Amino acid sequence: MRTALILAAGLLASAGAQAATTKLTVNGMVCAFCAQGIEKRLGAMPETQAVYVNLGDKIVAVEAKPGQSHDVEKVRAEVKDAGYDVIKVEMVEQSVETLRAAAKAKK
Amino acid sequence: MKHAAASALLLAALLLGGTARAAPMGFKDSWMAMGDFGPNWREAWVNHAFTARDAVGGGGLYMRSDDKQTTREIAELTYTRLVARWNLPHAQANVWFVGGLGGIRGNDFDGTRTLWAPGVQLDYETTRVYVAAFARLYRADGINHDYGALRAGFSFYEAEYEETQPWFIVEARRMRGLSEQVEITPMLRLINKGYFVEAGFNTDKQVRFNFMHIF
Repeated sequence: MRTALILAAGLLASAGAQAATTKLTVNGMVCAFCAQGIEKRLGAMPETQAVYVNLGDKIVAVEAKPGQSHDVEKVRAEVKDAGYDVIKVEMVEQSVETLRAAAKAKK
Repeated sequence: MKHAAASALLLAALLLGGTARAAPMGFKDSWMAMGDFGPNWREAWVNHAFTARDAVGGGGLYMRSDDKQTTREIAELTYTRLVARWNLPHAQANVWFVGGLGGIRGNDFDGTRTLWAPGVQLDYETTRVYVAAFARLYRADGINHDYGALRAGFSFYEAEYEETQPWFIVEARRMRGLSEQVEITPMLRLINKGYFVEAGFNTDKQVRFNFMHIF
């Protein structure tokens, strides 16, 4: 019984730790000097916990604060205002840090 | 008094500070400052992107002929427009318009003349290759200076977004009517997010330093 409770608590904690991350594939993002606009604009959204930009894989990921989520259309508009085109949007459960680590491990 | 006011305006413009380098404006709601410094060419400007495609700003430019005999001082208000952009899977290409309106002074004529200066920049960039062409006309009563610049370069390696990326860039430029010589400058460019610096020596062994910053 005690083991089952610990297991249940672990599962709940793990579910609570899942991040709500919007992962975008972005065309035209080739230069850090120019792409910083994406990071700044998405980072300024009140619900943003963290932003990850990967020029090589054309990926932008924006993680929401715990219990919050991003409006995908607002995220898309911010990237457009930064000067780029969003060609794909995915909702993923990995945190920005997990995505960053996975990209580094891939190299 | 008039001279002092003009000098103050020029100084302010030099401190605040338009020619095009990388992108000549930042993202919507950002400010961009840029400087280009060498013995015969000193320029600085700042602009504010009030849309994703439009920016207004001010700048100042000091130019000197190769024989060091003729000088020009310009203070101008600028409008920058992203005319077209192609966001490709692994590249970006742009067409920019830069328009300037201000005053020009020279050591071979009296007073300040009204200046207008339209220009166009075309650029193409990947994470490893950069090419750009820039042309601008400086026009005032009795003055026809045509500026042209070509830039090309490559990055030594692909860098992560958070890392500093070094580039090798070569620029050839000329200001017709003031300098009949093409200035060629190989430069090292370093980019780290909001910071962009270039330094090198031209073929006359004159030092050159450029910077751009978005904030």
